Amino acid sequence: MGGPKIPIDLIMKKLAEDSEEVLKTVQKASDVLLGSLDTAISTTPCDIVYEEDRIKVKHYKPKTKDTLKTPLLLVYALINRETMLDLQPGRSTIQNFLDEGVEVYMIDWGYPTRKDKYLTIDDHVNGYMDNVIDFIRERHNIPEINLMGICMGGTFSVMYAALYPEKIKNLITTVTPTNFDTDQGLLHVWMKTIDADRMVDTLGNIPADMMNFGFLLLNPARLMIDKYVGFFQNVDNKNFVENFIRMEKWIFDSPDVPGETFRQFINDLYKRNLLIQNKMELGGRRIDLKKITIPLLNFYGKYDHLVPPGACERLTEAVGSRDTEDVCLDTGHIGIYVSSKVQKEFAPRIARWLKERDKPATVTATVKKTRGKTSLPKKEKKKTAA
Amino acid sequence: MSENQNEKHDPESLMSFWMKSATDFWGSTSRMWPDAGEPFQSEGLKKQFQKLESAPKMWQSFILAFSEPESMSALFKGMDILPEVVLQTLQSEWGGYSGLQKKWMEKASRMGKQSEDYKFEDLDKDIFKVWAEVYEKEFSQFLNIPQIGLTRFYQERVGQTLNRFNLFQIAMSEFISLLYLPVEKSAKDISEKLEEVTKKGDLSENFEEYYREWIKILEGHYMVLFKSTEYIQGLNKVLDAGENYFSARNHLIEDILQLFPVATNKDMDELCKEIYLLKKEVKKLSKKVAGLK
Repeated sequence: MGGPKIPIDLIMKKLAEDSEEVLKTVQKASDVLLGSLDTAISTTPCDIVYEEDRIKVKHYKPKTKDTLKTPLLLVYALINRETMLDLQPGRSTIQNFLDEGVEVYMIDWGYPTRKDKYLTIDDHVNGYMDNVIDFIRERHNIPEINLMGICMGGTFSVMYAALYPEKIKNLITTVTPTNFDTDQGLLHVWMKTIDADRMVDTLGNIPADMMNFGFLLLNPARLMIDKYVGFFQNVDNKNFVENFIRMEKWIFDSPDVPGETFRQFINDLYKRNLLIQNKMELGGRRIDLKKITIPLLNFYGKYDHLVPPGACERLTEAVGSRDTEDVCLDTGHIGIYVSSKVQKEFAPRIARWLKERDKPATVTATVKKTRGKTSLPKKEKKKTAA
Repeated sequence: MSENQNEKHDPESLMSFWMKSATDFWGSTSRMWPDAGEPFQSEGLKKQFQKLESAPKMWQSFILAFSEPESMSALFKGMDILPEVVLQTLQSEWGGYSGLQKKWMEKASRMGKQSEDYKFEDLDKDIFKVWAEVYEKEFSQFLNIPQIGLTRFYQERVGQTLNRFNLFQIAMSEFISLLYLPVEKSAKDISEKLEEVTKKGDLSENFEEYYREWIKILEGHYMVLFKSTEYIQGLNKVLDAGENYFSARNHLIEDILQLFPVATNKDMDELCKEIYLLKKEVKKLSKKVAGLK
């Protein structure tokens, strides 16, 4: 047969040479795996200050004296969990915000069950989000708060800021899709063809495992093979194993997505791209992005395969605000929150930006216009696997 | 074999013999029953016994009618053609199987041919097409036979669920084979590369280098595949088949649950929707009331 020949003899020779080293690694690995491992996630102390149906609001209080006057509400996506922002000590966005003197509230969307399958985007934005924001405003006796959205939670935050501009002081969007008419990411290509109506009619809530499998398929070579090869290569490294398990815990801790919300997200956004065209409606009200006149800071990842730059960068042009800034980081979708290098810059930069605008309304109006893209200094740029 | 023995094993004569014994048994049983009802004076009970009496009589007349030589011949004429039906079925199944095997052989003979980089236009999906065709034309017909009688509706549901499950399995196999293509292609590419460097004497001692390269090639092949229309069609096909199956399965579960004193999925969904709408209304009114204060 004229097929290619693999030099098996050489491979075997190499394996024999390495066998002693492999034996040592296996012994050390068993010590690591059978010993005590610290793999707890979301360990920063917090209080649950608000509960409604399945949702909870976590409150994190900074220990520093120099704190921002206006608290920040973090709105995570309905896919995966908000624990990603507090994955581990030393790599926690929440902890970094607290160190910078930012008082943080964060919505935990919980685990939707069968009774939640009728909940629409309207229920999440005009319902839960509005109730939570009113609660925080009342608690602090302030008319407006700072709002930061992550991924799908960012899209919800954009909708909210357009519908209730009087309640939001500053808006931060991170890896937030608002323009869905792009072929940059596979998700955008696939979502345009799927029949969301049939899926929801048949399945009700969209099962988390199904979504996870879909995400793994976005890059099977890396996410289903290379990732685990890397794990076995470092299985004797306790620190590596602990971090790896933390990430595994987070990535497969996925709630189902409420059926009607999924239907609306696919049909109105992925297929019709209504939001960026100011044509989307929630609860009978049209969302006009021009009504967002507050300062806007928009982060996205250059190598984001889920929400590519093309899905994020049109937002700053579409809103009515004159104080906007795009920040493109040399990282992927999750790297923004968990990469230790990006962490050094990400939360401090947001805190600085908020501090500059944490002044009485009359002063805020004089903040210089910074429309346009900026990037991190070159020396701090890095490619981080999401 | 003697003629006598032939007569002995003739199904018509065996049937006549069995029918005669059955008629005699039910005849004598029915003659015993009228006396059993007499000690009871109640009119209601008497009526019940009269009904019981009529049952063996009906059986007797039914069997007698069947014992007529004309009816017997008609029945056995039908039985005669049974082997023919079985033969025809086996022939068609065998035909389908042969077609499938032929395609497998064709595919096997193509193995080892040069792998074309980043090209998925010539996907060999024929194997699944044949499988799907064989299933749809030959097997699924059995599950779609019109059902009759009181339980026809339930039988139809079971048949439909089984049919859709099989179609889902076919679509899933096709989809998995698509996902396997890049692995096949990248393995071929990297083995060609290894052969090349071995010939040149440049084979690196560090095999991780080749692993890294293989992962890179695999990633590239996957990216091309995922953007191809074949993949998108395959993805939609498997989702569609899955939804068809889940929907049929849900209907079947619904039927089963209806037999028990528990709420069905439909009942629960209706209840959840009512609660959802009520809660929404209450929250809206609460906000209005709070605004008035």
